Amino acid sequence: MTIRRRTFFVATVAALASTQALAPRPTRAQQRFESIFMFIPAGPGGGWDSTGRAIEQAARAAGLVGSFQFENVGGAGGMVGLPRFVNQRRGQANALIVGGSVMVGAGITNKSPITIRDVVPIARLTEEAGVVVVPPNSPHRDWASLAAALRANPGSVSVGGGSAGGTDHIALGLILKALGRNPREASYVAFAGGGPAQAAILGGQVGAGISGYSEFAEQIKAGRMRALATTGAERIPGTDIPTLKELGLNVTAANWRGVFAAPGITPAQRQALIDLVTAVHATPQWKEILAQRAWTDAFLAGDAFAAFLSEDIAKTETVLKDLGLA
Amino acid sequence: MRAHPRRDELAFALLLVAFALLSLWQTLAIPVSPIYARVGPTVFPWVASVGLLVFSLVLLWQAWRGGFPGVDRQKAVDWRSLGWVGAGLAANAVLITTLGFVFAAVALFACTARGFGSRRPVRDALIGLGVGLAAFLGFARLLGVNMGAGILEGLL
Amino acid sequence: METLALLAGGFATALSAQNLLFAFAGCFLGTAVGVLPGIGPALTVALLLPITFKVPAASAFILFAGVYYGAMYGGSTTSILLNTPGESATIITALEGFQMAKQGRAGPALATAAIGSFVAGTIATVALTFFAPIVVELALKLGPAEYFSLMVIAFVAVSAVLGSSAVRGLTMLFLGLVFGIVGVDLQTGQPRFTFGLIELLDGIEVTIVAVGLFAVAETLHLASRHRYGEDQLLPLSGSLWLTREDFSRSWKAWLRGALIGFPFGAIPAGGAELPTFFSYYIERKLAGRPEEFGRGAIEGVAGPEAANNASAAGVLMPMLTLGLPTSVTAAIMLSAFQSYGIQPGPLLFQTQGDLVWSMIASLYIGNAMLLVLNLPLIGLWVRVLRIPRPQLYGGILVFATIGAYGVANSVIDLAVMYAVGLMGMLMKRYDFPVAPVVLGMILGPLAEQSFRQAMTISQGDVTTFVTRPISATFLALAAALVLAPPVLRAYAVSRARA
Repeated sequence: MTIRRRTFFVATVAALASTQALAPRPTRAQQRFESIFMFIPAGPGGGWDSTGRAIEQAARAAGLVGSFQFENVGGAGGMVGLPRFVNQRRGQANALIVGGSVMVGAGITNKSPITIRDVVPIARLTEEAGVVVVPPNSPHRDWASLAAALRANPGSVSVGGGSAGGTDHIALGLILKALGRNPREASYVAFAGGGPAQAAILGGQVGAGISGYSEFAEQIKAGRMRALATTGAERIPGTDIPTLKELGLNVTAANWRGVFAAPGITPAQRQALIDLVTAVHATPQWKEILAQRAWTDAFLAGDAFAAFLSEDIAKTETVLKDLGLA
Repeated sequence: MRAHPRRDELAFALLLVAFALLSLWQTLAIPVSPIYARVGPTVFPWVASVGLLVFSLVLLWQAWRGGFPGVDRQKAVDWRSLGWVGAGLAANAVLITTLGFVFAAVALFACTARGFGSRRPVRDALIGLGVGLAAFLGFARLLGVNMGAGILEGLL
Repeated sequence: METLALLAGGFATALSAQNLLFAFAGCFLGTAVGVLPGIGPALTVALLLPITFKVPAASAFILFAGVYYGAMYGGSTTSILLNTPGESATIITALEGFQMAKQGRAGPALATAAIGSFVAGTIATVALTFFAPIVVELALKLGPAEYFSLMVIAFVAVSAVLGSSAVRGLTMLFLGLVFGIVGVDLQTGQPRFTFGLIELLDGIEVTIVAVGLFAVAETLHLASRHRYGEDQLLPLSGSLWLTREDFSRSWKAWLRGALIGFPFGAIPAGGAELPTFFSYYIERKLAGRPEEFGRGAIEGVAGPEAANNASAAGVLMPMLTLGLPTSVTAAIMLSAFQSYGIQPGPLLFQTQGDLVWSMIASLYIGNAMLLVLNLPLIGLWVRVLRIPRPQLYGGILVFATIGAYGVANSVIDLAVMYAVGLMGMLMKRYDFPVAPVVLGMILGPLAEQSFRQAMTISQGDVTTFVTRPISATFLALAAALVLAPPVLRAYAVSRARA
């Protein structure tokens, strides 16, 4: 490679970097941490990465933390990064890792020796309910009709969603269990990523679809997909789609994201991190980010979060066992 | 046309056969899935593995019968050059997790340059340092990604 | 005419001094990352996401679009000069491009790539401006069954890259298929070919294999032959520019490439690699001098280069009209929309018309900018070939490391790249073609997953592939491609006898 090429690359980089430096410096409130090491067990650009960087944005704007350092190690639903975080950051009081439901499932399906149980739960921050949709020309006008078809013969309705064993598949599994069928009977068509799955539903290639609400929100608003039910505990604000609970099916499933600390920290250190994340959650900047990204606030800290986590792990495990993945 | 087997081509063909067998073994190791799927996860691996095995056996036979058709006679290998580049790659892999990317880049650059006949290791190391630092800083500063920071973590 | 008025409004925004600067920065950065093996536009846009906190939406998207287009220009440069493709979409370019460079014709190769990219990029942008909604509705008619049938055509077209020996070519194709299987199976969640390594669960990245097979293998091969002087690039001869003959051979290939590339961008299983490879096949079939293919045929550079740029524009169609990402870069751009509180979807043109039209306008500007940026650079790029070999290959290996290790920080990725590089060195030694490995790796998973998706949807009915009209048409086309040449030959023979 030429020197010239290298310098122009670096020069461009530097020029762009300087635009970042123009951001207004925050006024210093009470700084709780001089620096935070934020580990993202996924590549840049995804949900976990944006959660981590949103925390940085809110915390620095409020002056809660002096500086952030990021490390991205992606792969296998976080299972590549997690062991690395656990081994390298043990006992480090200012280290956080972003994680969520995907990591719960990945730990079980991959039979990984190190799982989400090996890090210290700090707080759940956001969640996103799933939504069951059908193409606009589908014979199923409402949930009762689709539910009847699924109960009679789950294989007769092909359902499109994300990869097998992922959060969409698990949500469908929970629904089938509640309908009295076995999750493995589903005619589940896995697609790689949101684009292909959406295209298959829009084009009527599959009978129904299931995924996080934000994936389909715009298609639903435009009338290109018909939403039949959501999987959250409450209705999604601003929509009139009933929850499965309202429809008489005892199923709640949501894709949540949160932060965890390194193992081996003292209770006091854990409390300091919980306080920090609680303070970040209280900032106006955080509220602004939530609104901007259409993330649902699902703040739950400390012991309450730990209890939720155990329950979530158990629930996920039973479905994955039925699917032959645990 | 019966000719002598060519030893190094035989070895390469054997490597491919071994690879095909490895692939067959891994196909057999795929867990059977209870999920409703009309076509299971093992069908395509069977096709690919058997295909690879068949063609690598044909290659083995060709090598035995006098060599792959249309391939020039055995070429000599410059082991010294190859050794330097190989050493550079090995050093890179070892150093990148310990000392960090920048030092790994220095070793890789200097060794490769040596392999291609450069006799000025210090200058090469300095160029390598420049390339490595520029790339590292570019990633860390602009993109906020710490690429194999190693002992540089916290310093830069 | 309403479209033209809207487009004019878009130009008004895109031509502001600030936005021109962002377009330039994007094109520049895009060309740079395109040149670096293994670092692509998706990663760059992902890493530039924080910029969305600081600049207005229109500027950010103009920057991203510049990066996206620029990478397609830049990727061809190293393919041609060093036989190390910067992007997976420019792998095919290396086949003929590097042969041209070896003969001292690097200048014309780079020129036909740059002009072809401009021509096709502009045609595709015009098509995007006027026909996006129609093309996208058509693309939605394709389901998994159709994708599978399309892959069958692709496998027929693989014959164009099998090289001098069918046995060696097919072995490499199957090797690629095996590489493509590694990872968790999408349909059932079962790990395959992972040897219990967590790092392999997501599969092997095509870019890592491509960098290993091209950059690392080329370097190792040349090292193994260093003392025997097998690194003879002929000195540059003749003009850096296209001769009249070059031009007349190129322009049809550009147009055909544009025509092939554009629709592929719109379908969710396309990718930018597939059309380059179809284009190569077609150019080879239509060439007046097919014997030149493999020895530096300029059509083999012109067509695929046009195709990859056209498909880049194609990708933006479903993204802007429906909010559907059909490539990784598009998916990341969508998340950038969200950080502005904009939800990309079918209503985007209505709710964010100004933004969308200024982005489309910036594509025209970016394309012109890239041509202006790249044509003078040709003189400079060819001087890369004058860098002393020791430093050149040192640099290539360092950049290959960045590509493989840079972001995932995985030593396993690095090890895979080395292993593939070693394999590639042996392949070069015994004259095995490299392209089939990469194509097998790209086509295999696409074919397998669409086949199984189609079978699940049809509840196990294989006839779905022939009862669906579009799928049946594709299969018939594939059959025609296989059967037509021998039948025609037999017919010609019988005529000659009669």
